[in-house]
Amino acid sequence: MEALALQSPVVPVPAASAIPLDAVARAAKGDARAFEELYRAHLPRVHSLVRRMTAGRDADELTQDVFVRLWQKIGSFRGDSSFSTWLHRLAVNVVIERFRTDQVRRKRLHDGENIFEMLPAPAQTRDLGMDFEAALEKLPDGAREIFVLHDVEGYKHHEIATLLEISAGTSKAQLHRARMMLRKHLK
Amino acid sequence: MSDTCTDRLSDYLDDELPVAERAEVEAHLATCRDCSTALDELRAVVALAGSLQPRPPATDLWPGIEPRLSTSGQEGNLTPFRERASRRFSFTVPQIAAAGIALMVMSGGGVWLLQNGGRATSMPPVAATTVPERNAVVPAALADPRYDEAIADLEEALTAGRGDLDPATVKVLESNLAAIDKAIAESRAALEADPANVYLNSHLADARQRKLALLRRAASLVGGKT
Repeated sequence: MEALALQSPVVPVPAASAIPLDAVARAAKGDARAFEELYRAHLPRVHSLVRRMTAGRDADELTQDVFVRLWQKIGSFRGDSSFSTWLHRLAVNVVIERFRTDQVRRKRLHDGENIFEMLPAPAQTRDLGMDFEAALEKLPDGAREIFVLHDVEGYKHHEIATLLEISAGTSKAQLHRARMMLRKHLK
Repeated sequence: MSDTCTDRLSDYLDDELPVAERAEVEAHLATCRDCSTALDELRAVVALAGSLQPRPPATDLWPGIEPRLSTSGQEGNLTPFRERASRRFSFTVPQIAAAGIALMVMSGGGVWLLQNGGRATSMPPVAATTVPERNAVVPAALADPRYDEAIADLEEALTAGRGDLDPATVKVLESNLAAIDKAIAESRAALEADPANVYLNSHLADARQRKLALLRRAASLVGGKT
């Protein structure tokens, strides 16, 4: 899986106390109990990534797909990056594979002409984080995916370009548009 | 406010501009309050994005994952999933008795499936085994009524014996089945719009296989305890 070889470490490792040190090795040998420990430790972050990228559509099902894929692939983890970073790249790839089944989405990503017509609603609750999450869901697919990958997950434009099979320029343009829409939400 | 400037504010913020362009933007920002304000707002957006905290899903997803592990296998590992059976279910003596009833019911369903549908694991794939013309792919939901009948029989039997089973066991079973049913329903809905989609057909077939496997696995786990 080529995308797994990308360089940028993005996601901080969850608290060490939450993950037994040998859980990855035991899970790779077929220990389902160890795998469940990994699932428990990483579920919030993986689910949040999937939910934000998909605007909540099929987030639970896709998250399950991520962990089934992890079970299949965990033996190929070599420790070149942190396990958390490796897992999140795997999750991004699972989500993107799903996106690729949606031809309309690809068109949206490249069009983006009407992006400013879909402005998010202003904040309605006192929880700024929740408001922001809600505003994220209202972004057009392409702008949201790139915003989440860049500003939330920390990917670089050239990495996003590789993952989404677009140009780095398109990635920059969509990121800027997403930010411009979201800034209205903060006013 | 200049569109030329605002279009470059994100690149400026991310330090992605060449030195000369960066100097141009800075010179403009020094004299344009609107662009300066926009930059502050973009900076706030980026800061907020970086401060978002992970949140777990509303429901535990493990019941929908665990049954799939036993059928997924691991790359480079020929002995997957060794420890799960003895841990996930535990039964007291009364529960074993009740579970025995469930085993009989489900075994009956298995026999029915064997007699009426060939080997239970030989359920035909969603798409035809030979590569059909694109428009000829038929969704599984419309192609295998015997499977649906067998599942319905097993579900009806489980419903009938529900009161005799340990609530925790029932909860686990229902949670698993609900997750799989959700996947099946979503796949079917998507296939209505795109019946030739290979991914969706494969996904539906996988979900249906998982449902059958779950029912059969529940029977084998109960059997292993008696």
